[in-house]
Amino acid sequence: MDWDRGTIGSALLHGGFFVWVILGDWLFAPQAVPEIPVSEVSLLSEAEFDNLTAASAAAVSPPVAASDPPPQRPAPAEEVTPDVLPEAELAQPDIAPLPDAPLADEAQPIPVPSTEVPAAPRPIDRVEDTPVDDTNDTPELADTVTPEVSEQPAEDVVETPPEPAASPEEAATQIVTEAVETEQDAPQLPPTASRPPPGRPKVVEPVPPEEEPPVEPVPEETAQVDVTDALNEALADTPTEPASDPTAPPGPPMTSGEQDALRVAIKKCWNLGALSSEAMRTTVTVSVFLGQDGTPDLSSLVMIGSEGGTEASAEKMFEVARRAIARCGKAGFPLPPEKYETWKELELVFDPDGMRLR
Amino acid sequence: MRLIQIFARAALTALTLMTPATLLAEPLRIVIDSGVIEPMPYAVPNFIDEGGAGEYAANISRVIASDLTGTGLFREIGPEAFISQVTSFGAPVAYSDWQAINAQALVTGAVSGSGDQIVVKFRVYDVFSGAELGEGMQFAGTPGSWRRMAHKVADAVYSRITGEGGYFDSRVVYVAESGPKNARLKQLAVMDYDGANIQYLTDNSALVLAPRFSPTGDRILFTSYATGFPQIYLMSAADLSIRALDQQDGTMTFAPRFSPDGNRVVFSLERGGNTDIYTLDIGSGALSQLTDSPAIETGPSYSPDGSQIVFESDRSGTQQIYIMSAGGGEPVRVSNGNGRYGTPVWSPRGDMIAFTKQNEGRFHIGVMLVDGLEERLLTSSFLDEGPSWAPNGRVIMFTRQGAGEGGEAALFSVDISGRNLRQITTDGPSSDPAWSPLLP
Repeated sequence: MDWDRGTIGSALLHGGFFVWVILGDWLFAPQAVPEIPVSEVSLLSEAEFDNLTAASAAAVSPPVAASDPPPQRPAPAEEVTPDVLPEAELAQPDIAPLPDAPLADEAQPIPVPSTEVPAAPRPIDRVEDTPVDDTNDTPELADTVTPEVSEQPAEDVVETPPEPAASPEEAATQIVTEAVETEQDAPQLPPTASRPPPGRPKVVEPVPPEEEPPVEPVPEETAQVDVTDALNEALADTPTEPASDPTAPPGPPMTSGEQDALRVAIKKCWNLGALSSEAMRTTVTVSVFLGQDGTPDLSSLVMIGSEGGTEASAEKMFEVARRAIARCGKAGFPLPPEKYETWKELELVFDPDGMRLR
Repeated sequence: MRLIQIFARAALTALTLMTPATLLAEPLRIVIDSGVIEPMPYAVPNFIDEGGAGEYAANISRVIASDLTGTGLFREIGPEAFISQVTSFGAPVAYSDWQAINAQALVTGAVSGSGDQIVVKFRVYDVFSGAELGEGMQFAGTPGSWRRMAHKVADAVYSRITGEGGYFDSRVVYVAESGPKNARLKQLAVMDYDGANIQYLTDNSALVLAPRFSPTGDRILFTSYATGFPQIYLMSAADLSIRALDQQDGTMTFAPRFSPDGNRVVFSLERGGNTDIYTLDIGSGALSQLTDSPAIETGPSYSPDGSQIVFESDRSGTQQIYIMSAGGGEPVRVSNGNGRYGTPVWSPRGDMIAFTKQNEGRFHIGVMLVDGLEERLLTSSFLDEGPSWAPNGRVIMFTRQGAGEGGEAALFSVDISGRNLRQITTDGPSSDPAWSPLLP
């Protein structure tokens, strides 16, 4: 296709026109005109102007405080002058002479800032990036399994003294087992109830004495009475006072305190520690005669009864009772001599029921 | 006549007044209802060497003293306190000298030897009563059995003083342990009751548990893991020969114990995840099931008369002790306290049951009457278990293990009163003791 000059020129002109149409606003845009400031005004009359000026004058006048007194200049303070002491009375230090600085033989260097580059910091030990494979640091395997570490802190280790192989031998009125012992370590609570007061003693009413039948008068002149009748009559009239209570001891009775003293003297020697369980269920009653000094006559000591066990267990309990009487009666039991007739024969009941294991 | 009457009346009155009132009066009656419980002091001077006894005389008297003192019921008075010496077996006893040192019992004896035989004779005296307890007695044996002879003398002395049989001439079979705790080696061993004369009955190639003596002491039952599973075995104490009892595939048997006549074995059998109690006739091999419950029931023990069996079961939800007839039937629960009860063992006397109790983090060895009343806990520790009765039913031996890695198992004994808790010296960690009957 051949282009003539006219066609080319027309194309250029049309192209330039289109470029001007598209980019003309951007390339040849006019500068923005600055905005003109506008102030609003209003019209006032003369009277209104006078009122405004009067109000402004009143507003700027200073306020006057009617109650405050006017400030006054303070009076000048009295001049205080110190007493002058005579110079001779004060010792003044001597004026020290200035030291003479010795001159150096040689010219001294003038310190100047160093211009040298500071030395590099000394290398220090640091952790290597790679671990060291030390075969000698391998932990040894334990023979037993190591317990896991607990998150709970361990209690303080309290060193306990070594326990003896056997429980200590000691006398006791009751047996305390290892299990009971741990329970008894617990703090004891106070009692929750108190014992009731003792009951009032019963009043014994006096028994009225029986009236004795009137004695018939004996006629003076009686028939022939044989000796047998006389004896029978005498028997019937014999005073029976001593035989009225044949079981009563002839001497004064033992007080409860005296009986308790005897009981304590025997029971402290009544050792049940080496008895069988069967014998511990057996109660025996023994009889023994005492001398006037309170010592038992061991040849008179016999078992007069038993209860609650076999014959063999009663025999063992009797041996223990005999041992107790012999041991603690060796020097004589504590008994009142004036009541010997009361305690010269004893009947002792050894009842281990309260000592038996339950 | 009047005079006669007056004279007769006066005479009778005087006669009445002069009658000894004490012949008619009741003696003073005192009730002693409390005493003391303490070891009884006694003395055992060295037995007299009557010729050929050598060192046996002194050794025998020392073993006797060790036996008596070891019960906790007696306290020996040492020879340094003696006032008089026993120079002759037949010499009269100076009671006052022994009373002065408060020896309440005195044991004298003599030993003579000739050839391969020694003879031990002894007497026991009640010092304060001034009388002999029983009559003199003697034993004869070989010099190698001198310890047994000493134990027999101690048994006789114990019996004469306490009124019950002794337990010194007896043996104990137990499990001797060795090695680390996570790889424990166990083997059967037997010893005298006091830890002397230890002998091993098996090697430690297989785990063994719960040995039990027969009523006559000639056989031993035990549980072994030789096959990988627990099975009960019977051993002859004479030649140590072993044979398995009731070995069935797919079952585990354990916790065996002889019947009082020694002809049957009661044990636990696990089949299909359920454990019940069975008996086995040793002669015929006949098996009988006694319980049939989904619960775990184990630890059976015959009563001494063989009519009942005590065992443990969790059929109530917790481990408790039950008693049933020896032929089976509905059991009766006897333990009623707090905690869990196990390993019940019937006393040789038949009146009590020993057991292990776990309560509030502590283990106890305890005893109770067969009806469950009068429960009494004798011990308390980190781990106490497996009680075994002494032949006289007075002492219980059991296993005690301490806490932690250092807590080794050891054998302990305790009196049924809870007194005299002491450790039995063995040659290493030990567990599962079982007492034999008194040796013949």
